[in-house]
Amino acid sequence: MLETYLPMLFIFVIALTIGAVMFFGGQLIGPKNPTPEKMMPFECGNDSQGTAGVRLNVKFYLTAILFVVFDIEVVFIYPWAALFKSLGWTGFATMLAFIAALLIALAYCWKKGALEWES
Amino acid sequence: MTFDVVYGLSPLLVVALGALLLMLAEAFGKPNPQGLAPTGEVSDAGAGRAGELGMGAAVVLFVGAALSLGVWLAGPDNLVGLELTRPYLIWDRFTVFVCFTLCLGGGLSCLLAGGYLTEHEIDRAEFFPLVLFSTVGAMALAAAGELLTLFVALETMSLGVYALVGLRRTPRSSEAALKYFLLGSFAAALMLFGAALLYGATGRTDLAGIGQAIAAIGQGEGPGAAQVLIALVLVVVGLAFKVSAVPFHMWTPDAYEGAPTPATSYMAVAVKTAAFAVMVRVLLIAFGDERLTSWASGWPPVLATLAVASMTVANLVAGRQSSVKRMLAYSSIAHAGYALVAVVATIRSPAAEGSILFYLLTYTVSTAGAFGALILCGSRGKEAVSYEDLAGIAKRHPAAAMAFSLFLLSLAGVPPTAGFFGKLYVFQAAIDAELYVLTVVGLLNSLVGAYYYLRVIVFMYMREPAPGATLAVPMRSGYVASALVIAAVLVIALGVLPNVTLEWAAIATVGRS
Amino acid sequence: MSALGYVLEHYVVLSALLFTIGAIGFLVRRNVLIQLMSIELMLNAINLLLVAYNRQHGGPMTGQLFAFFIIAVAAAEAAVGLAIILSYYRLKASVHSDEADALKH
Repeated sequence: MLETYLPMLFIFVIALTIGAVMFFGGQLIGPKNPTPEKMMPFECGNDSQGTAGVRLNVKFYLTAILFVVFDIEVVFIYPWAALFKSLGWTGFATMLAFIAALLIALAYCWKKGALEWES
Repeated sequence: MTFDVVYGLSPLLVVALGALLLMLAEAFGKPNPQGLAPTGEVSDAGAGRAGELGMGAAVVLFVGAALSLGVWLAGPDNLVGLELTRPYLIWDRFTVFVCFTLCLGGGLSCLLAGGYLTEHEIDRAEFFPLVLFSTVGAMALAAAGELLTLFVALETMSLGVYALVGLRRTPRSSEAALKYFLLGSFAAALMLFGAALLYGATGRTDLAGIGQAIAAIGQGEGPGAAQVLIALVLVVVGLAFKVSAVPFHMWTPDAYEGAPTPATSYMAVAVKTAAFAVMVRVLLIAFGDERLTSWASGWPPVLATLAVASMTVANLVAGRQSSVKRMLAYSSIAHAGYALVAVVATIRSPAAEGSILFYLLTYTVSTAGAFGALILCGSRGKEAVSYEDLAGIAKRHPAAAMAFSLFLLSLAGVPPTAGFFGKLYVFQAAIDAELYVLTVVGLLNSLVGAYYYLRVIVFMYMREPAPGATLAVPMRSGYVASALVIAAVLVIALGVLPNVTLEWAAIATVGRS
Repeated sequence: MSALGYVLEHYVVLSALLFTIGAIGFLVRRNVLIQLMSIELMLNAINLLLVAYNRQHGGPMTGQLFAFFIIAVAAAEAAVGLAIILSYYRLKASVHSDEADALKH
């Protein structure tokens, strides 16, 4: 039973060793010459501004929630697309009805102003 | 074939289409300038149109009820095409009867909301699409013959109701929604874990297949049997939460009190009816095995305990409330207890299923009526919530007091109202099933219950309002009044001539093997 | 079965553990956001269980399909839940369920 996990243990130990060697090796033998630019948190392209704990506008929340809900519906479209031929016209009609319902929901969000960024 | 399916499912389809159309009508229609709040702060398209949208929603739901009646008369068994929807949706007489009750309860709640939202200037016409979507979920739940359908339908119903509870932008309303949402999702997760274990133990997700597989697992003491027992416990807990049986009722008084009153009415009638329907089907079809329905080794003693606890605790606590709305919440818990007695009786009495359906119908009309009368007794700026608010209302508005009294008498089970026959047939089924102790407990509880219903009537007719207190002035609303008239006619009709409905309820069974 | 192959019991035990952690988290924590996350953890434990059983039973992909539906419904549930929490926070400036005490008998 337990020997099943022996390879796992080996991988775990090897991974830990490699990580530890690289981390502490760099600290021990690497040159240390700090400048203000080097001490800045890395951010691609721009100089970073402000702290990481900045508050985000609540607008992001609404957009994110709408995105999640609409996005997740793709989970039902993928299997249908994979079996498109064998499901035939019945499957096509069903999927049309499903997408029509989604469209109505989208129209509702749009009309209610949930998609407006500037207001 | 296609015609059979479309005609058979027409109540469900009409309400679903109506919900989508109403959603568009709410968003794209022209706001009514006269109905806008004087501050004009909400410039929403649905603003000031609660009345007309409520009328639309009520019409859709009453059409749904009429179509259920049509399907009933045509006989779901004669519509052979409906076999296609099995095992996902089982469209039998049981389902159609429940659909009628659900549409009726939903329609009455929409009429009440049409008056209530306008009177209290709540610019939330989303109420009506939400009620319709929830009703679609509730109907699918009553019909569900498969675990996946059951779960999706349950969530469709619940998500709409969570939003309905939190519709008002007041601390009480959003607190009620928060509590209901958290506990509701927790209970759904417990039930779902039970469903997953059932799938694991049997390899099936349709209730009939699960029933056969459990019978095959049989008397064994092996891990399979233990897994089925754990699943049974989890599913029963989830369902007990939805019907708000003690000790899974903690959310009920808070959610019912904090929600806008039409939403409370909807929760009390539709959610409970659908939950009882699915409870009966799951227990009798999936857990209908001889061993699991026996008193020694199955669910009957568990449900009997829940029934006794619900009736006793709710009735004792209800009498001590100062808020009538909260009292009605406890009363709905007590009524869940009476219906649970009938659920236990299904193990030995074939008439018990019909008695549950008839009971739920009488409960729906009486409860929707009682909440409607409570809405009618208040107006802008002063809702009637406490006993004091109702003091002496009979002098100020005799019709409202009369209607309220009728519905309370029906809830208390006084003849010749609908509630009397509802209780009578439940207890008759219990006696048939030789559940004498449960019957006696139920009868005693009905007597205790009468106390707090009558107390409201005493306040309305015999007390004077305290000097200097703000008086709750009854509102004037054609919507609320028409809902009350419909409910009152049904309460009296079911009380005076229960026979036809009873015969119908008696043949609406879930068809256990 | 290979040394690290599929053993049903492992998945069942892991799923039960995750579910229990979620349930305890829901009951113990008083921050409603954490309670919501605990519920999501419980749902994901159920997904794991369903997929593992699907592998066990074979046949039609009922278990996996079930998991898809749970994912979709969980997203909708989270949307409604966060909206309710947001409206509660705007009125009470708190996300602690201990402070939800306006409704008492």
